[in-house]
Amino acid sequence: MKREPTAPWWTRSVFGRSLHDERRALIGWSIGLAATIVLELALYPTVRDNDMSALLDSYPESVKQLFGLTDFATGTGYVRAELFSFVLPLMVVVFGVLWGSDAVAGEEDRGTIDLLLANPISRRRVVGEKAAAVVAGLGLVSTVMAAALVLASSAFSADVPVARLGAASLMAFALAAVFAILGLALGAATGKRGLARGVGAALAISAYLLSALGPLASWLEPWRVASPWYHALGVDPLGHGVPVGHLALLVLSAGVLTVGAAEAFDRRDLGI
Amino acid sequence: MSAIDIDHVSKHYRTGAGIDDVTLSVEHGEVFGFLGPNGAGKSTTIRLVMDLIRPDAGRIRILGREVRRGGRAVRRRLGYLPGELALYEQLTGGQMLDHLASLREGRGTGRSVGDLAERLHLDLGRPIRELSRGNKQKVGLIQAFMGDPEVIILDEPTSGLDPLMQREIRSLMRESTAEGAAVFLSSHALNEVSEVADRVAIIRAGSLVATEAVEGLRSRAVRRIEVRTTTPIPEDQLAALPGASLVASSGNHATIDITGSMDLIVKVLARFEVLELVAGEPDLEQIFLSYYEDQRRETADEA
Repeated sequence: MKREPTAPWWTRSVFGRSLHDERRALIGWSIGLAATIVLELALYPTVRDNDMSALLDSYPESVKQLFGLTDFATGTGYVRAELFSFVLPLMVVVFGVLWGSDAVAGEEDRGTIDLLLANPISRRRVVGEKAAAVVAGLGLVSTVMAAALVLASSAFSADVPVARLGAASLMAFALAAVFAILGLALGAATGKRGLARGVGAALAISAYLLSALGPLASWLEPWRVASPWYHALGVDPLGHGVPVGHLALLVLSAGVLTVGAAEAFDRRDLGI
Repeated sequence: MSAIDIDHVSKHYRTGAGIDDVTLSVEHGEVFGFLGPNGAGKSTTIRLVMDLIRPDAGRIRILGREVRRGGRAVRRRLGYLPGELALYEQLTGGQMLDHLASLREGRGTGRSVGDLAERLHLDLGRPIRELSRGNKQKVGLIQAFMGDPEVIILDEPTSGLDPLMQREIRSLMRESTAEGAAVFLSSHALNEVSEVADRVAIIRAGSLVATEAVEGLRSRAVRRIEVRTTTPIPEDQLAALPGASLVASSGNHATIDITGSMDLIVKVLARFEVLELVAGEPDLEQIFLSYYEDQRRETADEA
């Protein structure tokens, strides 16, 4: 019988296997993000050389606010409006919610959880390793995103400072991690993958609207702080660098959600 | 100390399914059969033992440790084959087994994956999604036996396997118990259990009907025999036989139900020229009925 002489590294832990299972998605989303970044930045020289301010002025204030269309003339303004106001963070968040909602609930749905938990591994540990794998995977994808931004920004002379591109990418990563762990927690608590995906996505979108529309309505404004989008990108890391306090809050949220997911998963009857 | 100790355990579902006040224990060195029709509560009981679901009442211990609190330590010495086996389809058999072996830490000794795969004729290099049902079952069985666990829990282990493989699995169970392991074998097929088990518990509609040595079960087994002879068998010859009852006869063809040993009927048939003889599987439902009749008789006697 054929046997591989040594077991590949990723078979040694739930963490490793979970990352390995997602390798095609990781590559796919990385390519998608890089392509989006290159396409958007390739348009930058044209936008800069034509005066777009007249066009911009014609938009209603609410549209400008919603899509962050404030300043197209500088590289930083362009990247903020075209990439970080919505498109890039949304892509990473969607990937995070899809993966997170499947991470634990998927094993239960497919029935493999019975075999996994027959091993000397605790349910809490399974949740922990799954969460770590999702966060590590999002980290990989976000690193590719940051690298593509740095390269494309210099190639198309948008000249956004590298540190600021890194700061915004880091915050998009933290945002996606929060929603991915939220999806994971919903799945771990209910065992229902579809429900976790749907509710997770709905919460991610409502939180975006809350953060983006908050400044337009005075009654909504105080609630902006409830939205992870506000803490990640509403405070403009591209313009001001890493907002340490806000980042800490996002990390803390992800941590609390992970603990909650582990606790709920540990108490529940599985696979019925 | 018993290998598995299930103590007055109940688990109820709103649908009415579940198990009610089940008590049994599995000792080291024995194959303990857990027999019942589909939906009787076998898998529910096993999933309770595996701590995948939690009981409404009662206690479950493996190797003296409560499964909920001592779960991790217990599972280090445990092999389990789920009834509804689901594997990591995108991995090869070898990768999946490597993965599970890693999670079991120090259980690298004992029967190796390679030896087991050779014995069961399984190609470990193929992706699991390409494997037949029988070969998937072999992957499940290998992971249950690898590393020589002290307690082996098998839920319908031979489903999807051909008779030769089924025999191989039975000898694996026997070898394990010879080394002191305990095997908890769940099945809906009387033959599978009676051929390998030392003791048997019978479950029906969520309740244990009886627990007894396998010989007792065999003596209750009712088989239906169809026989065709060149000359008719006189009915009185059959009617006189203990344990036999004539179900139907027409000309040279007779249908007979036999309880327990086949010896006497074979000796009667030997006097005739037998053209065809078909013996059916023992009927599980008949065995349940015989236990119920016993119970009813006992309660009637007490009254």
